[in-house]
Amino acid sequence: MALEKIQLDLVAPGQEILVAFFRDVSASASELLQKQLFARNPAFEYAFIDATSIISRAHLLSAVFNAVNAAATDSLRTPNVHSEIVISLGPNNNISDAYRRWGIQAGKTSNLIVVKVLPTTSSESDPSSPIPSSPEQVWAHLKEHLQGATATPLTDDELSKTTDWAAKIRKYYKLNGVPALDAIKDEVAKRKEMERMVIMAMALREL
Amino acid sequence: MAVSSPEGQGQFPLPKILTYPSSTPPTLITQGAEGRVYKTTHLDPSRPCILKYRPPKPYRHAILDARLTKERITAEAHVLARCAREGVPVPAVYATDPRAGWMMIEYIDGVPVRQAINEFLGKRPETDQEKVAAEETDNVPLIELLRRIGATVGGLHGTGNVHGDLTTSNMMLRPFSTTIAAEGSKARMVEGDVVLIDFGLATQSSSEEDRAVDLYVLERAFASTHPRAEKLFQHVLDAYEKSFKKAGAALAKLEDVRRRGRKKSMLG
Amino acid sequence: MSTGTVGRKSTSRYFPPSFLKYFKRKLKWSLKKEAQSSAVTPPSAPVPPLSTGSSLTKIEVKNKHNNSFTTTTPRTHFDTADSPKMTSSNPSQKKRRIALGCEGSANKLGIGIISHDITTGEATVLSNIRDTFVSPPGTGFLPKDTAAHHRAFFVRVAKTALSTAGIPISEIDCICYTKGPGMGAPLTSVAIGARTLSLLWNKPLVGVNHCVGHIEMGRTITGADNPVVLYVSGGNTQVIAYAEQRYRIFGEALDIAVGNCLDRFARTLEISNDPAPGYNIEQLAKQGGRILLDLPYAVKGMDCSFSGILTRADELALMMKQGKKGPDGEPFTPADLCFSLQETIFAMLVEITERAMAHVGSNQVLIVGGVGCNERLQEMMGAMAAERGGSVYATDERFCIDNGIMIAHAGLLAYETGFETPLEESTCTQRFRTDEVFVKWRD
Repeated sequence: MALEKIQLDLVAPGQEILVAFFRDVSASASELLQKQLFARNPAFEYAFIDATSIISRAHLLSAVFNAVNAAATDSLRTPNVHSEIVISLGPNNNISDAYRRWGIQAGKTSNLIVVKVLPTTSSESDPSSPIPSSPEQVWAHLKEHLQGATATPLTDDELSKTTDWAAKIRKYYKLNGVPALDAIKDEVAKRKEMERMVIMAMALREL
Repeated sequence: MAVSSPEGQGQFPLPKILTYPSSTPPTLITQGAEGRVYKTTHLDPSRPCILKYRPPKPYRHAILDARLTKERITAEAHVLARCAREGVPVPAVYATDPRAGWMMIEYIDGVPVRQAINEFLGKRPETDQEKVAAEETDNVPLIELLRRIGATVGGLHGTGNVHGDLTTSNMMLRPFSTTIAAEGSKARMVEGDVVLIDFGLATQSSSEEDRAVDLYVLERAFASTHPRAEKLFQHVLDAYEKSFKKAGAALAKLEDVRRRGRKKSMLG
Repeated sequence: MSTGTVGRKSTSRYFPPSFLKYFKRKLKWSLKKEAQSSAVTPPSAPVPPLSTGSSLTKIEVKNKHNNSFTTTTPRTHFDTADSPKMTSSNPSQKKRRIALGCEGSANKLGIGIISHDITTGEATVLSNIRDTFVSPPGTGFLPKDTAAHHRAFFVRVAKTALSTAGIPISEIDCICYTKGPGMGAPLTSVAIGARTLSLLWNKPLVGVNHCVGHIEMGRTITGADNPVVLYVSGGNTQVIAYAEQRYRIFGEALDIAVGNCLDRFARTLEISNDPAPGYNIEQLAKQGGRILLDLPYAVKGMDCSFSGILTRADELALMMKQGKKGPDGEPFTPADLCFSLQETIFAMLVEITERAMAHVGSNQVLIVGGVGCNERLQEMMGAMAAERGGSVYATDERFCIDNGIMIAHAGLLAYETGFETPLEESTCTQRFRTDEVFVKWRD
């Protein structure tokens, strides 16, 4: 099972954070998932994230941390923690921009990150329910709707293969012409610094 | 994962966020009038961080208290973000929760500049003859550090912000990614990037007066913390002068501030 | 606050040209009435026509209305639970030193007599007489009128102080007076009075820093040993801590003093100046609290600033008079304004005090100065100090508000270390920083 259970520091207990990374997602699959999302089908309550807008695990998990904290303090700006994860990736409060830039795009998103926050306090999972409520059910549900896609380990290495630096990261986080970045020659160091700035931009999103 | 029991926070209750499970226990680092500073981790153990917590002030009207807490966290985060973009070495902001009164920032690995300078000075030759002979060459690494301090402070002022509490305790010496000086050498003690920390009193300002007061506070703090290196402080100012366009005007104003002291004369 | 008839009100906003003539006439009138000097008029009581004039010259001989001092027995000792040092001492000859202090840096003329036990150092208040120049609502006290008041009342207040103390002039060791800081003309008037006494009785003069007077009196009355001091009055806002023979100023107001801010806002609202504008703001604020109006909060490190707050409060007062609504869509009242002003500026004062306490590692705080009487300020400071595991020390209006006894006390402390002010140097100065005084009497 390529569904990873993530333990984040300083997150309120009583929930499980599950992530999966799929490459080669078909156009029909992305269309279906986006359609279910728009229909607010509770069985498809996931954070679907376009991986080309993501730099690294720290980048992704910072957004998850911020969203989970918002949920724990009753300060969600969107209907649930999953949509909150998507908008938490943005550097500002423009919600529709965030969905377009970090969310799944029908027919376009072929590298997809899925995040699911599952309450662990829920009673015994009912196998007949259409809403997945255990990691196993989540994984089965995802596999069913992402047939043909390649489950990939969510590592910095794998993520960096799909990151679109020029058209997405630099543009979305306004990193062009930033003196701190232009001063760095080494490309690896420059990307590390960009990750720092991106996380900072997300932290300042609501300020 | 080990769910650790928090320790080291003395008489104070932890902010709620720090009561949640974490791979490393939070430790209280300082407790000032501003609030409390904890060391903890962001996301996982590979990301040590500082959590600055501003507890509610019981004496303050709740509405005013919430407003001030939010304003101050916002102001501090914005100054840090501005500095980071402009390439001034400061901790990155990892996460904020103004309603809960906390902010998570990057943990800077290293020693305070105050400590580095004092350790360096502690190894100076003791007798006067030795001192005079050694002085010129011996102080070179220290002078280089002082010049980096001046350049960093100038960089900060160039971003249109002032720190408000510049001391060598509010600067960290972060080791260079590739070290230059030999292991165990005296030069190694003062090698590293100067990273400014604790922006709790920082404000947006491009006024010569505010910049000069910033320098004056640093000059006074330096003289009292490092009396043996007091006459080397000029190197800080020399490097400052070259660090941004308006530095000369701020230094001219510093003369005025020195003459009258930080405070203006008072009417009864 | 009504000031009586509309006709009176229009002239009570400022001092008309005929004011001085009127003032002098009232002086003569009140001299005749001296015996029936009145109690403090309750601020809510309707003020009859012409009474703004009479309140100008009202004698406020506090000890006659205060139990702690109400006695016909000479050498009454101030003795309360919060002043362990101020216990009775047997005043036999040459066992004590006695000083007479004259204060008049602002609108209070105060003369007090204190004795220090030579062996124990215990201080005993023998008399503490004060007379306040109260200006009509909507006005402040002007230097020349205040100086005229002090000149007119100096002799009477001095005589009352002497008779209350019940000591022979020969027992007095020195005459202390306020050298500054303060308003020039009133300071000079009182200094002249002090010099006259000095020459008349052949006693040495001791010039005293007004702020140091407040601090030393506060320390002695409350028993606070080495506190961080918040000195808040009409002319001063300072956070002070003692170090190496000086009272060092850690933080202060960068523009107007906090009391000045309150006084001027009282003028905007045309609140009575009797007994003090700040007192009446405090009473009004107790009726407010429904909403907190947004005012600027100006703290910069350990310093703060009040002029921006005053400007905004004045604007809000104007909006209120025009019938504009508050942030909750309801009209707001003078009580809401007073409440919001107090909450904001006192939070600033407590914050800079807390920062100084953290800086010097102290958990005692002493509040002195006229604004220090405010119970809300004391309450807020107490909450802060309690959180730090410490406590707040404050005095009541007899010692918070400018008085002669504090000048006598601080002057006598200096005199005991050999300090005297030669007659030719017995000047006054409007600017006299607290940290200029060499505090020889402390370790």
